[in-house]
Amino acid sequence: MARVRHTRIWLWLARAGVIVFCLLPLYWIANVSLSTSSALYKTPLDYFPRPPVLENYRAVFAVNQFPRNVLNSFVVASLTTLLTLALGSPAAYALSRLRLKRKNLIMALFLGVAIFPAIGMVGPLYVALARLHLINTYAALVLPYTLLSLPLAVWILTHFFSTLPTSLEDAALVDGCTPPQAFLRIILPLAAPGLFTSAVLIFIFAWNEFLFALILTSTPESRTVPVALALFAGLHELPWATIAAATVVSVVPVLALVALFQRRIVEGLTSGVER
Amino acid sequence: MNRRQETRLAAWLVAPSLVFVAVLGAFPVLSQFVLSLTEFNLKFTDERSFVGLANFAKLLRDDVFWRDLGQTFQFTVVSVGLELLLGLAVALLLNRIGRGRAATNASVIMPWALPTVVAATMWSLILNDRIGLVNSVLERIGLAREPIVWLGPKLAMTSVILADVWKTTPFVAIILLAGLKSIPRHYYEAAELDGAGRWGTFRAITLPLLKPFIAVAVLFRAMDAFRIFDLIWVLTGGASKTETVSVYIYRVLFRYSDLGYGSAMTVALFAIVFGMSLALIRFMRIADDAR
Repeated sequence: MARVRHTRIWLWLARAGVIVFCLLPLYWIANVSLSTSSALYKTPLDYFPRPPVLENYRAVFAVNQFPRNVLNSFVVASLTTLLTLALGSPAAYALSRLRLKRKNLIMALFLGVAIFPAIGMVGPLYVALARLHLINTYAALVLPYTLLSLPLAVWILTHFFSTLPTSLEDAALVDGCTPPQAFLRIILPLAAPGLFTSAVLIFIFAWNEFLFALILTSTPESRTVPVALALFAGLHELPWATIAAATVVSVVPVLALVALFQRRIVEGLTSGVER
Repeated sequence: MNRRQETRLAAWLVAPSLVFVAVLGAFPVLSQFVLSLTEFNLKFTDERSFVGLANFAKLLRDDVFWRDLGQTFQFTVVSVGLELLLGLAVALLLNRIGRGRAATNASVIMPWALPTVVAATMWSLILNDRIGLVNSVLERIGLAREPIVWLGPKLAMTSVILADVWKTTPFVAIILLAGLKSIPRHYYEAAELDGAGRWGTFRAITLPLLKPFIAVAVLFRAMDAFRIFDLIWVLTGGASKTETVSVYIYRVLFRYSDLGYGSAMTVALFAIVFGMSLALIRFMRIADDAR
């Protein structure tokens, strides 16, 4: 019995250690964002804000286009999620449940795009998007992001579709559905958990993406949050407290998604591996 | 629905995303291959001239490229190795947790879900030599007399690796956790009946059955680590011996506007990553067959 109790204590300690290691940087950035900027230069440092102040958040939302950047990120991430699912779910359905020639070749094409270094794709895309006068528009980011997240979405969704029983379409056809109707009315609703999981992962990817956003936008108003954040330091002389506040704002949506949907995220990440 | 109808429907369903990938994806990829065979520098001329494999020959003689390739390799091996060890430990821990699993899982995924730029910003604040948390704590408990320059020439690579390990260990842990959950419980019961100890059970059952999951985790991580850009761009800008191939390519393409040479380097990086993935897959198959 003593041994069991020992193991349990060790497990709790290890668990506490892991949680602290994972969340400590987040705590620290939140602490700095709520402290006065002079508090950072105290020795020794205070490990919690005294007193907590909101001036840094006011500065973030007053000084520059940051609210606009947050809006941009929301629009781009949402449109990317919708477009990727609209393109990806029919494709995944065909690849997982219908007779189709050269399935492997099609999968290989998707994966090839995923392996190619992003740094090399962004230049030619810039040239093409500039010709179409799309630089600094939402389309300039939504189109490449959809391209980058499509392989992942197709991969996850083929897995979800293939777990549904094969007799579903047959039953739908007997009931008088046309094949496209069977897909839209029967299969798609049943695959809703899979669609939702993919949506969460795609949204997080698009919210976080940096390299394409850095190069395909050039005005402060068109930037997304990660780029605004990275260029913040260059604009002002490293106002750490303000940067910290901007950082906290930029992670709130991700924090909310993870807190609410951690089970789905785990499912999505592992669904590709389990076959 | 007969065969022909089914195939036709399938083709119509796949067509939109195939066209999308072909137009938007194939074009930049192919144009990199074409550009890599030309001399084309926007700073000097708008003309491109075909030079065959000259860019690749230049690449072989470019000391900066070899230095960065070495650094990229070092970054990849050390960070993926650490992530695998730590990820396995975390997965084993998570697998034994009963109550409060949701909260623990959510905290563990958090670093992975954050933007890399945010992770880099956080770590550059925490590791800052004058006002950083780490130095403050070290000084307070008497472990360091002078501030340690974490992002300076000596320790920058270590710090970058630390930030990467913090950010991507969760991914490895989640993949390995899925592996642990897939191992049938009665294997362990049988091992216990046979009197196998913990370490013996781990080596004889857990590790072998976990191998495919380890393979996938290492493959995904190695591919990403070898192409790393944003973490380094924000943390060090490539200074202090931390420049990776992707950061060098960024410099050549967007600062020097040398499209020909930059494209050649991109193609080379693609070839290396592709070859590395194939080698990893083959190596794991061989290891599998040997069992």
